[in-house]
Amino acid sequence: MPSIIVKPKNLKEIWKILPELPAKRKYLSGGTDLVASANNRLDDSGCWIDITDISDLRKITETKDKIFIGAGVKIAELKESKLVAKWLPALYSAVDKFASPSLRNMATLGGNAGTASPCGDGICALCSERAEIILEHFGKRRKVPLIDFFTGPKKTVLRKDELIIGFEMPKWTHSGVHLKLGPRTDFAISKAAVSICIELVKGKICSCSIALASVAPTIVMARKVSKFLETKSLTSETVEKASEIIKTEISPITDIRSEAEYRREITGILLQRALTALSN
Amino acid sequence: MRVYKQELFKIQCVVNGRRIRKTIPSNITLLEFIRDFLDLKGAKQGCLEGECGACMVLVDAKAVNSCLMMAVHVHGKEITTIEGIPLNPPLTKGDGKGDLEGMSANLHPLQKSFIEEGAVQCGFCTPGFIISARALLKKNPKASVSEIKKSLTSNLCRCTGYEKIIKAVDKAKKCNW
Ligand SMILES: Cc1cc2nc3c(=O)[nH]c(=O)nc-3n(C[C@H](O)[C@H](O)[C@H](O)COP(=O)(O)OP(=O)(O)OC[C@H]3O[C@@H](n4cnc5c(N)ncnc54)[C@H](O)[C@@H]3O)c2cc1C
Ligand code: FES
Ligand code: FES
Repeated sequence: MPSIIVKPKNLKEIWKILPELPAKRKYLSGGTDLVASANNRLDDSGCWIDITDISDLRKITETKDKIFIGAGVKIAELKESKLVAKWLPALYSAVDKFASPSLRNMATLGGNAGTASPCGDGICALCSERAEIILEHFGKRRKVPLIDFFTGPKKTVLRKDELIIGFEMPKWTHSGVHLKLGPRTDFAISKAAVSICIELVKGKICSCSIALASVAPTIVMARKVSKFLETKSLTSETVEKASEIIKTEISPITDIRSEAEYRREITGILLQRALTALSN
Repeated sequence: MRVYKQELFKIQCVVNGRRIRKTIPSNITLLEFIRDFLDLKGAKQGCLEGECGACMVLVDAKAVNSCLMMAVHVHGKEITTIEGIPLNPPLTKGDGKGDLEGMSANLHPLQKSFIEEGAVQCGFCTPGFIISARALLKKNPKASVSEIKKSLTSNLCRCTGYEKIIKAVDKAKKCNW
C-alpha cells in the first residue's frame, strides 16, 4: 500500500498538487484492479491520487450528436442510465456480463481502460460503440479513438500523470450486443468476447462495427467481417459466412485460460449468436 | 483537497447506525478498518481479490467487497456490516464489540431462514451471502430464483453447494419484514 493518498476535489487541484507528490504515483478509481494488486504486493506506488470525489468524472451527458460518459462512472450506474439504454446497446448489454454485482458497484470504465486488459468487457463494448477517449494532462486535453489507445497488454498511450476524463460516443440508430464465453456463465474472465453494433435499414446492414476481447494482445476490431456484413441482409447464410470470415481474421494464442484453436472456434460461434440475436 | 498521510486521517462515518470518529492510517482497506479498528469480526478476510465475497458489506445500501475499498473512501458514508443486520438490535456495546446474546433474539428473517434451511455449514461465507441477499431484497423484494442466483454470484461457498442458500433467500423474501 502507498504511504500517502491524496483526494483532490476537482481537476484543477490535481494539476496543482502533482509536482509535489512522490514520483511513483497512480490514480485510484474503483480500486478493483489497483487495490487487488496492492493486496498481492504487486503495486509499488508511493502515492495514490483518489479521484472518486471529482464530480466531472461521474457524469453521463448528451449533446446533439454525442454521448459522454465520465471515467468515474460505476459499471452498475450504466444500467440505470436512460441515455446508455437508448444510445449504447452493446455497452448496456455488457454490464450484466461484467464481473459480479458487488464489483460492478465499485469498478469504473476509466479503470477498465487504465488497466488495458485484452479481456476488458467495458472497453470492448466501448470500441464497438466507436468511442473516443478523452485525456487531460496539466489542463490540456486530447482525444484518441479508444481502439488506438491500447498498445499492448496493460499498455496504453497514456503519458505519466495523464488522466482519463471519459469517453465520447457518436449517436447513431443501431442495435448492439456484447457476448462473452468463459469457464462459467457468470463472473468469469472470458476466453473470447464479441461486441457488435449494427444499423439495419429495411433489413439490410448499412453500418457495422465489431470489437473482440481475449483473442489478441489488445482489444481488436474485426474490420474484414464488418466490411463483409455491410450491405448484406441478415440471413442465415450471411450469418454463417460471417462466422467463417471472422475465424480467418484473428490469430489468438494459447494461454492458461484457453487454447488458440478453441478461441478461434468460439469467436465464430459468438458472432453467430450475436448476429442471430440482433436479427430477431 | 485532503491529503492523507499515514496515521493522519480522521474518519467519520456511520457504522450499523452508530456515528464513528476514529483516527486511522490512510492506507488501510475498509475490511481492515472494520475488523481491526472497530473490532467487528463478522466480515471475513478470504481471497483479498474480489472473488469470494466473504468481506462483503453495504456502503450506502450497496454491496461492496470491503477488501478492495480503501477506508478513506467511506468518509461521510453509511456502512452496514452483518452485525447491523438483525432487526431492532442492540447493535454494539459501548466498546464496539458485538453483543451476541442481544443479537440472537433479534435475528433478521434472512438469518433465521439461513438457519432453518441449513444454509450454514462452516459459516465463513455466511455474512457475505446475507449482505448480498439483503442488498438484493431491499432493491427487489420479489426477486425471482434466477435473479437471486445472479445476485449471489458475488459470493463463494465451499460447503453447502448453494442450493440451500438459494432456498433460504427465496424463503426470506416471503417473510413480512
Ligand atoms: C474478481 C474480479 C473480476 C473481474 N471481472 C472483470 C470482468 O468480468 N470484466 C472486466 O472487464 N474486468 C473485470 N475485472 C477487472 C476490473 O474490475 C476492471 O478492470 C475495472 O473496470 C477497473 O476499474 P476500477 O475503477 O476498479 O479501477 P482501479 O483499480 O481504480 O484502477 C485500475 C487502473 O486504471 C488506472 N486508472 C483508473 N482511473 C483512471 C483515470 N481516470 N485516468 C487514468 N488512469 C486511471 C489506475 O491507476 C490503475 O492503474 C475484474 C476484477 C476482479 C478483481
Ligand atoms: S476477501 Fe474480499 S472478496 Fe474475498
Ligand atoms: S458454509 Fe462454509 S464456505 Fe459457505
